[in-house]
Amino acid sequence: MPIPIAVANLTKRYDTVTALAGVSFEVHAGEILGFLGPNGAGKTTALRILTGMLAPSAGTVRIDGLDVTERPLEVRRRIGYLPEHVALYPELRVQEYLHYRACLKGVPRRARRERVREALEQCALADVARQLIGRLSKGYRQRVALSDCLIAQPPILILDEPTVGLDPHQIRQTRELIKTLGRSATILLSTHILPEVEMLCHRVAIIDKGRIVAIDTPAQLGQRLRGTQVVRVELCGEPGAIEPALKQLPGVARVTLQHRDDGAAAFEVEADQQRDIREAIFRLAVERQWTLRELSQLRASLEDVFIHLTTREDA
Amino acid sequence: MSRLATLTARELKAFWYSPVAYVVGALFLLLQGFVFWLLIAALNDPGTDPSFTIAQTFFGPTFFYSISVLITVPFLTMRTFSEEKRTGTIEFLLTAPVRDSQVVLAKFLGAWLAYIALWSATIVFFLFLRAFTPFDWAPVLTGYLGTWLLGGVLIAIGVLASSLTRNQVIAAFLCFVVILLLFSVGILDFFLRDPETSKLIRYLSLLDHLVDFSKGILDTRPLCYYGSLTAVALFLTGRVIGHPRWRS
Repeated sequence: MPIPIAVANLTKRYDTVTALAGVSFEVHAGEILGFLGPNGAGKTTALRILTGMLAPSAGTVRIDGLDVTERPLEVRRRIGYLPEHVALYPELRVQEYLHYRACLKGVPRRARRERVREALEQCALADVARQLIGRLSKGYRQRVALSDCLIAQPPILILDEPTVGLDPHQIRQTRELIKTLGRSATILLSTHILPEVEMLCHRVAIIDKGRIVAIDTPAQLGQRLRGTQVVRVELCGEPGAIEPALKQLPGVARVTLQHRDDGAAAFEVEADQQRDIREAIFRLAVERQWTLRELSQLRASLEDVFIHLTTREDA
Repeated sequence: MSRLATLTARELKAFWYSPVAYVVGALFLLLQGFVFWLLIAALNDPGTDPSFTIAQTFFGPTFFYSISVLITVPFLTMRTFSEEKRTGTIEFLLTAPVRDSQVVLAKFLGAWLAYIALWSATIVFFLFLRAFTPFDWAPVLTGYLGTWLLGGVLIAIGVLASSLTRNQVIAAFLCFVVILLLFSVGILDFFLRDPETSKLIRYLSLLDHLVDFSKGILDTRPLCYYGSLTAVALFLTGRVIGHPRWRS
């Protein structure tokens, strides 16, 4: 079975800004992946590319093995997308709107009435089914958009900040709904609210300034954050010898190769926080006479993101 | 119902719900009523030129005809894409499994059908007239055909204008100016007295073809000309709408 969402090296450049700089991740069948990052991190841009609203500057997105730019219609048929800004036709009644969307999404004529009824029920909208959308509160409108996502029963849901603008009671309801939906669908959920991710997601991708800073389960992420430091190092030297030598340094837990080009190799070194690992790396380089091209602490950025997120978690 | 029909029905419904459509419709009918009154007055006047025909007055490239088109087309088309862009509903529309071409065509058809419906209301005048005086239906019918086809070109231009901006006023103004320029091409004829160029200008001038239509002449050349202009405008609209989806 193809992977529901596979994103490789996704890059989006606008004239002067780079919104996404080589983002790669996968969402497996039945998984809820949280896309966590401060506002302006590139979450919405990524989701827009996934749904075919925007074309990437580089990189590929495959939905169920289908390339988004090559087979846009088939991809869109598989996705239920809740955009960041919910905008609906105000002059239509809720029921009418859902019926229209069901037509557009190719729900067979005979099934339409039943699907509209189910979608209304799932999102607790039955009471307002005959009301004009323009008269509804923001919370209700958000749920109309959500029920629109569900109307064609797509196997993949892409939800951009689904709980923004809702009151606490509605937030709880929406989270419950997402949890329920997660049993039958693959979900990619973007949010800037940390507890939401912990509550709902199997895995979290933390995105900041257009890069994925970390991707792991919420529990492991927490652990990694508390006990370790990550340093980025780029060295020129004997190609095979660098990695084992780094691993042997005291306190180093993990060394991952980032990239390699003519003689130089870049690594991310994870170590416990007993001492600053950068000094040890520097001494190692001097001792073996390797040229040190870069040595910088990455952990700070991850921490920054977290601080950013935790300070506004109760938004 | 196919997706195109669903989308077109939605466009037509939007007119039904919009107060602007009623105001423009009323204005249009008022203007046409006035033209009809002038027509009756001319018919009753014994001094009227004997070459005078009903169809040529009603559908010819007259001042009132141009005004009727200029007030209706921009108002019918300004909403199509600008409104969706401004409110953000375009994102819902374009992430649904529909082709850009279907969206563009539906926007066009919706506005065009509304335009056709407006003009069709004036058939009442002719039915009324028929009760009192005999006249030839053929030029009237080709007059309508010419009007609808010319309307298609202008509506397509209006839809294109609307796709370029999220501001309805700008879209309407742009559409208005372009139509005005297209209608004024004939004026060049006065300045360039070269007979060859003048032929070209007359062929390019959208309004001049109406003379033939209102005489009851069905020529394939204006049909092709109108048809291809409409197609080009709609094609460009599709490119504008699809633009963010291009790889760069």
